[in-house]
Amino acid sequence: MSVSDRIDAVSRRFKRRSPSDVQTLVLALLAGSVAVAVLTPLLWVLNSARSVPIDRFLEILLRQTTFDILLNTVVLVVAVTALSILIGVPLAVLTAQTDMPFRRLFTVLAALPLVVPSYIGAFAFVSAFGPRGELATVLAPLGIEQIPSIYGLGGSVIVLTLFTYPYVFLTTRASLLSIDGRSVEAARTLNHTRLAAFRRVTLPQLKPGIAAGALLVALYTLSDFGTPAIMQFDVFTRIIYVRTTARQVDIASIFSILLVGLTVVILLAESRIERGGETSAYVNRGTDRPGVVRLGRWRWMATLFPLAIAALALALPPAILLTWLGRSTPELAGAAVDFQWEFAWNSVLVSGLAAGVSVLAALPLAYLSARGEGRLASLPERASYVGYAVPGVIVGFGLLSVALNVTPFLYGSIAVLVFAYVVRFLPQAVGTTRSSILQVDPQLLEAARTLGKPPLAAFRKIVLPLVMPGIVAGAALVFLTSMKELAATLLLRPFGFETLVTYIWQVQEAAVYGQAAVPALVLIGISALSMLVILGRERYDVKE
Amino acid sequence: MTTDDDTRDDGSTSERHRPSRRRFLAAGGVAATGALAGCTGLFGGGDDGDYGPPDYDAADAAMEAMAISEFQGSGAILEGRPAPGGRSMEDLPNLSGELAIYLGGGEGGLYRDLFDVLEAVYPDFSYTAQPKPSSELAAQIAEEAQTGQLQADVFISIGAGSLGAVVEEGATRPLTAETVEPVPGAFVEPDNNWVGIAGRARAIPYNTDQLDESDLPDSVMDIPNADPLQNAMGWAPTYGAFQDFVTAMRLLEGEDATLQWLEDMQAAGIQSYDNEFLISDAVSTGELDAGFANHYYAMRVLNGSPDRPLDLHFTRGDAGSLVNVSGAALLDRDENAGLADVFVRHLLSAEAQEFFATRTYAYPMLPGVQPVGDLPTIDELETPDIDLTELSNTGPTTDLLTEAGVL
Repeated sequence: MSVSDRIDAVSRRFKRRSPSDVQTLVLALLAGSVAVAVLTPLLWVLNSARSVPIDRFLEILLRQTTFDILLNTVVLVVAVTALSILIGVPLAVLTAQTDMPFRRLFTVLAALPLVVPSYIGAFAFVSAFGPRGELATVLAPLGIEQIPSIYGLGGSVIVLTLFTYPYVFLTTRASLLSIDGRSVEAARTLNHTRLAAFRRVTLPQLKPGIAAGALLVALYTLSDFGTPAIMQFDVFTRIIYVRTTARQVDIASIFSILLVGLTVVILLAESRIERGGETSAYVNRGTDRPGVVRLGRWRWMATLFPLAIAALALALPPAILLTWLGRSTPELAGAAVDFQWEFAWNSVLVSGLAAGVSVLAALPLAYLSARGEGRLASLPERASYVGYAVPGVIVGFGLLSVALNVTPFLYGSIAVLVFAYVVRFLPQAVGTTRSSILQVDPQLLEAARTLGKPPLAAFRKIVLPLVMPGIVAGAALVFLTSMKELAATLLLRPFGFETLVTYIWQVQEAAVYGQAAVPALVLIGISALSMLVILGRERYDVKE
Repeated sequence: MTTDDDTRDDGSTSERHRPSRRRFLAAGGVAATGALAGCTGLFGGGDDGDYGPPDYDAADAAMEAMAISEFQGSGAILEGRPAPGGRSMEDLPNLSGELAIYLGGGEGGLYRDLFDVLEAVYPDFSYTAQPKPSSELAAQIAEEAQTGQLQADVFISIGAGSLGAVVEEGATRPLTAETVEPVPGAFVEPDNNWVGIAGRARAIPYNTDQLDESDLPDSVMDIPNADPLQNAMGWAPTYGAFQDFVTAMRLLEGEDATLQWLEDMQAAGIQSYDNEFLISDAVSTGELDAGFANHYYAMRVLNGSPDRPLDLHFTRGDAGSLVNVSGAALLDRDENAGLADVFVRHLLSAEAQEFFATRTYAYPMLPGVQPVGDLPTIDELETPDIDLTELSNTGPTTDLLTEAGVL
């Protein structure tokens, strides 16, 4: 079913209702075109796959190794998602609904791992826990010869979980903060224990938030190349990368199509969880926050959990980076260009632009999906998630080809790079914007309309201020993930344009690890600031 | 179409570069690389930066020494090197203009050091480099060439495979005969579409405390069955140079034998690493007994830690002793045709080759420049008889590696 068919269907339904639904039609058109634009790099994939003869296609598809890699990928995604929920949800509950000490500090600490690029995290873990790593060196004199291998599935799961669980933490926390406390109180008056009230009242309301975070974790895991590559674990991204650079685009595209297929499966699974009666669950009717759970004797014990996570995810990588400072081999000390602050500025510039464009593109998608009627309304929004699950190298080559053939005047400019970031990271902006739109009572808007405000003005005056926090958080998420993106940046950056990640890649290539420390710390520092923006939005809805 | 006395029609002649090169000298080593191993004495004794003495010969001699020291690396394995022989940079036309370089990943930073020296020597010359993985660049150049939008004048690649790939796509122009003339035929594309600038031999780094060289077979095909090498070796299957080695094996021994070899190596418990520097390092610390790596990684480890028990073994006349080259190709666009060609000629000068030999520990392409340390010279190595351009045919290789479950 083509997009235009969909829009027709949507518009037919609207025509049956009211004349003002012309607006909705415009919205649908906008959303549809954004979705199509975002999917263009994937057309290149499909186009490349066309050239594969059917028997070769089947032969590759039915290989044992293909099945093994599919299994590896699925196991990795499931494990990382499950573990992220197990870490993210308790942390969210502890920081939002209990009397654990230093809740503000731990909120920041729990969210921060998201700013560490997973390839730097993976590198740090290998340096620390690998054979001949720091830990092995410490244990060797104690007579411990062998430590369990960090390589493979185990290491990949640990690293990806530690650096992506904040998605679940942030979305769950946002849901917790917007829960209608009166329903919890009602349950308590009906003789439910705290636990039972949590299970029967709070948890159902949290589900959409948890699911939204889990979706981001699952799709990020699907698209991440750096971690499995460093951990030597064979998943789709690694194969796609190897094949693409070996100029076997046909095979790479087959695996990319499989990857997109997996994405669709995950999206379907998520929508079954999330889209159940959310309108009532999500709408915030001038909430009273549910009462704080008193931990009593466990107050201080509870802090051990966030502390342990922070030690692994936040203390370890910088510590390893600092040990690198002394690790340059002397004769290579001059091997790489010296670090310049311009690289940091370039990173901020392209990531900032990507954040701005993503927010604008996300608004129609999110609004249509949150307020539109029927399944079709959320199609454009769902479609935007596909780019997020496709590895950067594919988006990169797809855009390279599209830019060369369709918009040659843009080729080699920042525009193409920014667009690549939008393709990869738009869903993050859509997700946060959508959930804040859902929390706006539509009756407010109708009230404004009956008072004679034109729809756009009503939107600007009533809805926008209420959804601003979600928009800002979305922009910050896009910003910090764009700061980290390596593959697409390397491929699409203009001539002579270096960013923090391309510089880190270069010094690592030249094996001058010492010179990677400063830019990596700068990258983490700048991204951390954008994380504070995300948490800052809670000013709007935390009444402490 | 190029002239061999200048890169631009601005009437420069070799007369002109005396003053400019001396200006560079007077700046006392403008380039950031330092490392004036024992040659600063030439400038000792009250050289107060006055660069006006009319004694051209003395100045030239100083310049030459300065230049070599500038280009030469430093470290234990470089003691007592002979002066490099071959075409000196002094005798080449000036570089002037702005050059755009696609710089294939690898030792990118080191190349830039050399380019920076050239920028310092030639005030009218400047370059912009865009470093990326070589294989990605080859794919990108192919896409750009199809739509006539090449962004760079020169492609420098870490291996001949990527060069062969862009030649196949018709993205290149031939270099002039004069530029490629001093380089042995094995490292020049038959139609001069690319030329090697620095060589790398495949080698077996081994730990001399744990193995004796006699433990290591002379044929790479015998390694899987060598008893001392069970569960003690490492390789880096995602690394381009390793894949070139497997491609060479495929061309020499055939698909079936290569697949068998890959499977046997895995049965022998070989471990995967991310890159070959890590392998050479792991061999030197005893984490591994031996591995598959380019020769220069071991030199690099030794130059940093000379006491480690690490040596190189070379197999004979098979894929295991493949010598691949980093090379340069001119990209087929109208700008800078002459400049790009003369630039590559500079990379093949005695000074630049000394730079590659002593800083990247590569095999020099000029017969007059010695490889470092106790490396066998390029003619002592028994290299396989193989057309390096065929290494661009990586598709079946990745098929094999995938089929064997290595990738």
